[in-house]
Amino acid sequence: MIRPLLLCALFILPASALASSFAGTSAGASSAGSSASSGSTSGDDKVLMAARDDAAAFVASDGQLRSARLEAALRQLRASDSGAVQADDLALARRLLAL
Amino acid sequence: MAWLALAMPALAAGASNDDAAAARLLHAAHARLPETWWQALPAGLAVEPRDDLPAHVGGRTFGTHIRIDRRLLAPWSGGTADPDHDPAARLALATLIHELAHVLDRSPHGGLSRDPRLRDLAGWPQRRLLPGRGANAMRGRSPDTYELTDPREFVAVNLEHYVLDADYACRRPALAAWFRSRIGPPRAAQVPCGPLMPLLQGEGGDGQLGWLSLDPSRVYAIDYLFAEGNDVPMSRWGHSMLRLVICAPGRVPGPDCRLDLAWHRVLSFRAFVDDVQISSWRGLTGGYPSRLFVLPLEQVIDEYTQVELRSLASIPLTLDRDAIDAVLARAAQLHWAYDGRYAFIGNNCAVETWKLLRDADPRIGTRLHWRGITPKGLLAALERSGLADGSAQADRAAAERQGYYFASAQSRYEAMFQVARRALPLPAESAHAWLDLPARSRAPWMAQADLRATAALLLLEQAAQRRQELLARDWLKRRLGQHDGEAMRARGQVRDLLADAGVLAQPAALLDGVPGYGLPQAAERSAVVERLATRNWRLAEGWPALRAQARAALPASQRVQWQEIEANLDLLRQRLRALADAAP
Repeated sequence: MIRPLLLCALFILPASALASSFAGTSAGASSAGSSASSGSTSGDDKVLMAARDDAAAFVASDGQLRSARLEAALRQLRASDSGAVQADDLALARRLLAL
Repeated sequence: MAWLALAMPALAAGASNDDAAAARLLHAAHARLPETWWQALPAGLAVEPRDDLPAHVGGRTFGTHIRIDRRLLAPWSGGTADPDHDPAARLALATLIHELAHVLDRSPHGGLSRDPRLRDLAGWPQRRLLPGRGANAMRGRSPDTYELTDPREFVAVNLEHYVLDADYACRRPALAAWFRSRIGPPRAAQVPCGPLMPLLQGEGGDGQLGWLSLDPSRVYAIDYLFAEGNDVPMSRWGHSMLRLVICAPGRVPGPDCRLDLAWHRVLSFRAFVDDVQISSWRGLTGGYPSRLFVLPLEQVIDEYTQVELRSLASIPLTLDRDAIDAVLARAAQLHWAYDGRYAFIGNNCAVETWKLLRDADPRIGTRLHWRGITPKGLLAALERSGLADGSAQADRAAAERQGYYFASAQSRYEAMFQVARRALPLPAESAHAWLDLPARSRAPWMAQADLRATAALLLLEQAAQRRQELLARDWLKRRLGQHDGEAMRARGQVRDLLADAGVLAQPAALLDGVPGYGLPQAAERSAVVERLATRNWRLAEGWPALRAQARAALPASQRVQWQEIEANLDLLRQRLRALADAAP
């Protein structure tokens, strides 16, 4: 009976460490959370990589499912690439999926 | 006996050597006390060298008589005492200042230790819910654990450091500001404090830590981050956290920062469970430590929306600049000092989050008197009092787009399945049924999918993988609970790794043995870097090794599913990349 403890999320490391990355991190979501202070990829790249799952949902739903992570990545693409300014959102999302 | 009235030891003939030392000491104290403090001291105050104080007591005050251990006075017997460089001379001065602080506190101008604001800042609980719960939980990084005795000693110990330490204001900023407002600035030169706030943040799921130097001026807003309950009845109360909306480097603080998700951080009170089994009894009775964690927002989003399948609502708090700064300062103080006990009723995440807000800025406590216990109840109360603005939640789609709402991945799965099903005659009626198929049976459809269907199938396959992870975890928990040699060994390994991870739960432990108190300063930070690297390395090696071991021990049927799901994911990722690249 672990009911009371579930009132608030717990930092149960065996659970998160053993389960959330049991098979190594998958592309996209679960590897995206690390901070800008570690790793070799730049913060900009991280924004793009973190949005790949959300870009997949956006493309699959033909533009229906839009998340903040996707918006952040689209803004990033348009800020760093003048060719992207005019491109439509779906085209840019596809570009994220091709990364 | 040295009388306060004596400005300086223009000593009468016949005064003993110790009296001269006491007079010099008193003079040195006078030179350092803020003027208000000095003036608040009663006339006729006397310092008396004594030999009969109990062991471990350096000074004691009776009325206007301060008794000082004669041995402490030795460094002050000549005219060359240098408390800034001679620890023995400093000890005597600190002892006298400690006693003078008690005299001040008891004087009509004092009352410092009875002030509710001081008690909040110092961590003395406002209400004692249960016997034994009245203790001060701000135990970490204390300059002198004697301060935890009671509020009077807290004031005396802290005033010693306020007066004598050039960096007290950098180490305990909120207390320093409060003392300054009550008794004026210390007279000794102060070192300038940098604007950055030192924090240790979690990085990745294995408990690695990174040093985060938080610049409060980069924090545009603070949101109440609420994890909604899922359909599991026990989670229906949700979880309370605070989200720091930190602007990406180079961005001018403003609404645009709301999309800088990769830079946002979450403050979350959580119980730290140091074993593979959870005890509800310990949860109810305060058997688990509760501490303030700092985590990247994206990690928290994934944890809730992907792993726990719960949605997150982010509701802006209507705090002005001063209140934001105060909340950040309080959070940093708690992060290093707080060593609380999780208790289901009295001290859960909602209660602790509320205390953080209320203790940070008294104006918040003035606007809202909240006495509830649930995260949902706290949110409702914050909104009612105008401290939180939930208006962005009204339009769910816009809220998702702008980062005010992060939907559970569960809500996506059915939509993804319908997309795939429109493109392909899949042998299942629902997302659930599709995921129930053996991974092998899903594979043949993947090679025929178009771009949209491939994207949908990829997200579904990731869901299948998470389900498999949960199955593996459940199996593993049962396995580790058994009593054969292999299970015991594995459990020991888990515990060892948790000991390293425990540092995340108690940042102060990382600095054990390093001199210093309160917020770590530059010298302590450099001492930490190596320890941090060692621990991170052990965790980064240890968990994957343990996972590999666990995976090899899984029942054959689960292992096969694993491999097949991974093969499916590889196939889908390659295909998605190729199709997306080929698309116009």
